[in-house]
Amino acid sequence: MLVLGCIGWGIAAYLTYVHYEGLHPLCLADGGCEQVQSSRYSKLAGVPVATIGLVGYTLILGSLALRGELGRLATLVLTLTGWGFSAYLTYRELFTIDAICQWCVASAVVMTALVVLAAVRYLRADP
Amino acid sequence: MSSRSEQKQRARAEREAAEREAARSAGRRRRLYSLGAAVLAAAVMVAVAVAIGSSGSSKPKTSGASAKSDVTAVAQLLSGIPQSGNRLGMASAPVTIDYYGDLQCPVCRDFTLGALPELISTDVRAGTVKLRYRSLQTATADLATFRQQQVAALAAGRQRRLWHYVELFYRQQGTENSGYVTGPFLQRIAEQVPGLDLSAWTAARDNAALTAEVTADGAAAARAAAAATPTLIIAGPKGTRTAGDLSYAGIAADIAAVSS
Repeated sequence: MLVLGCIGWGIAAYLTYVHYEGLHPLCLADGGCEQVQSSRYSKLAGVPVATIGLVGYTLILGSLALRGELGRLATLVLTLTGWGFSAYLTYRELFTIDAICQWCVASAVVMTALVVLAAVRYLRADP
Repeated sequence: MSSRSEQKQRARAEREAAEREAARSAGRRRRLYSLGAAVLAAAVMVAVAVAIGSSGSSKPKTSGASAKSDVTAVAQLLSGIPQSGNRLGMASAPVTIDYYGDLQCPVCRDFTLGALPELISTDVRAGTVKLRYRSLQTATADLATFRQQQVAALAAGRQRRLWHYVELFYRQQGTENSGYVTGPFLQRIAEQVPGLDLSAWTAARDNAALTAEVTADGAAAARAAAAATPTLIIAGPKGTRTAGDLSYAGIAADIAAVSS
């Protein structure tokens, strides 16, 4: 989970850097990343979603340091929220923006793996 | 005696096992309840985020009081500033800013309503900067729609009113790719541009040269490594740079850096 969290954090940090520096993210498909970046869904209440992702991954990594059931529950809530938000953004990419940003997909995959692991970790841990 | 003692031990062991099982069962139940609560809490947080994200979605407002207010604001902003084709400002201005935009791009709208008015009323009006609006497809998914809307703006440019058209389009922009950009919508924007000859504008929209200009802008953007919108390419006597910070202060710093 720590490795996955770090990968997700790295993706979000890169996209946040690219956003604030006015750079173009490296993108394999023509225009997909730019189209997503130029869409209204690239921000939430004026805050870039990459920045929200960066905060989210930071909180997930922080929660991994917490001991006990409460810590495991915190990780689960955070990853569930992140997964839900990723699912919403992926839906928007596919059905509203009509373009795919590979960085966003990579983050969604990482978040999906994290939520599965967080659920298993929470349910299987010793009381 | 021994048998009774064994019975007691067995009974105790069974009781303890039952208690352990009950504790485990209670723990499992508690965790499942917590899991349900976690899912619910996450769903609420996502729903709030989605609601916030959707709250800005809008239908284009090409009529009514807000549309009138847009027309007044645009007229005031652009009053007395020369226009020609896609250019706003004096042809002799030492600094040229190419503004690559997509008329359906909401980030372009934010920029057009944010830093751009100060840039126009300060540097463009003073004759030190000229702006050129150039087309780069990003937010608009459909190429035909993109060409249609960008050509509509360029057609207004044939009457030295491209910037009126662009400003009004951004101010009355709807949700990207929602299908709001139609012939009637483009016509309603044109009808609000003061002094625009609508029949000449309609005729100009069929001009193949304008479609070619949109295509050429896309090629120029690719050469300049501009892939997102808005992108500002700022050129002056001391060189060319791509604006990284799209606040007015950031753009002014870039202008100063390329000025003599």
